[in-house]
Amino acid sequence: MRRTNRALNRILLAILGIILLGAGAAVIAAGTLPGVADTWTTIGSNLTDQVRQLASTAPIPGPARSWWPVAGIGVLLLGAGLSAAWLASQGGGRTPRLAERSEGADGRTVVDVGLISAAVQDALSANRNVLATSVSAWESRQGTALRLRMEARHGSSPRELADTAEQLVRQIDSWLGHPVPVLVRITSGARTRTSGAQRAR
Amino acid sequence: MTQDRTLRRLVRRETHSSRALPSIIVASILLLVFLWLAAESVLWLLNDRPLLASPAHIRQWLVGLPGSTVPAGLTAAGVGLGILGLLLLGVAVGKGRRARRALASDRIATVVDDNVIAAAVSSTSRLAAGLAPGQVTTTVGGRSVRVQVRPTSGVSLDLASIKTALDGELAAYALDRQVTGKVRVANEGAVGQ
Repeated sequence: MRRTNRALNRILLAILGIILLGAGAAVIAAGTLPGVADTWTTIGSNLTDQVRQLASTAPIPGPARSWWPVAGIGVLLLGAGLSAAWLASQGGGRTPRLAERSEGADGRTVVDVGLISAAVQDALSANRNVLATSVSAWESRQGTALRLRMEARHGSSPRELADTAEQLVRQIDSWLGHPVPVLVRITSGARTRTSGAQRAR
Repeated sequence: MTQDRTLRRLVRRETHSSRALPSIIVASILLLVFLWLAAESVLWLLNDRPLLASPAHIRQWLVGLPGSTVPAGLTAAGVGLGILGLLLLGVAVGKGRRARRALASDRIATVVDDNVIAAAVSSTSRLAAGLAPGQVTTTVGGRSVRVQVRPTSGVSLDLASIKTALDGELAAYALDRQVTGKVRVANEGAVGQ
């Protein structure tokens, strides 16, 4: 339900994996093949020379001596910024309001998740197979979606629970007037472990 | 139709991992490394004392790495890096399925944890055969539901009724991925049930 950009995660992880694989292969080659170790050193010193030459161009007064180191630091900071952006793109999208309608000058109507949450809790409090419920709303590209999490008693049938949930959602539909996408998650949790199993009937 | 697509998308996102945890770890490491390198470069330009190692030192170390390290150590480090890379690639390219699956329903998207299914299957099978709690254990794998029964010593086991109960239960769930139910009877029985 979270708004994590999953394709971005996969692409970036794959790229970094390939880079690490390449670095590992280079280090293994340097450790096992004698010729590669020499090539490594020559390439390294060549690169150093080129960087030194580059640094002697575009001089500026002051301790930095050249624009190139300053540009290098800029690139490093850019990399840090992009990493922070990737970090910030994880998760998010939870919203406290399920539906909202503006009625022009008369104001607007907002349906809070708390209302649905209270209704669901009230409806399921008598159900012995549902130990706990939690309701949350999430923004997605297709609009706001409702997520209903039910903690099942040990051994209770998921089919029965799903049917109960479906009935409940139909009631919510007729109540709200317009259907919202609903995801029902049937899980086991702390309450499942501490409460006893279903009795035989 | 759009409703259907939305529900399918919800199910897909719920039953597959978002790779958020590996992404958070990798992004944090990258952020720290970039910030550290930038700080070292600034200190180096200002001729200040480095935090851990100045860029000149790092360059020297990298260039002289094959000469200054024993080959076996270098190979081992390379293998370590390669394994890390493969791990990341596997996380990125792999299916990332979680231990839960979708149940068929028309109005809502329903996702059930595998252990809830296992507990329910155990309970129905146990009731069908008239066994005590703990005599039936169920494992839900990718495409199979394996029921293991430990019969009561000296009492014949009604295997057919367990099989029927299992198949009926699985048919009622109508899971999105076809699963086959298998019943296995343990060699040793439970005494005094």
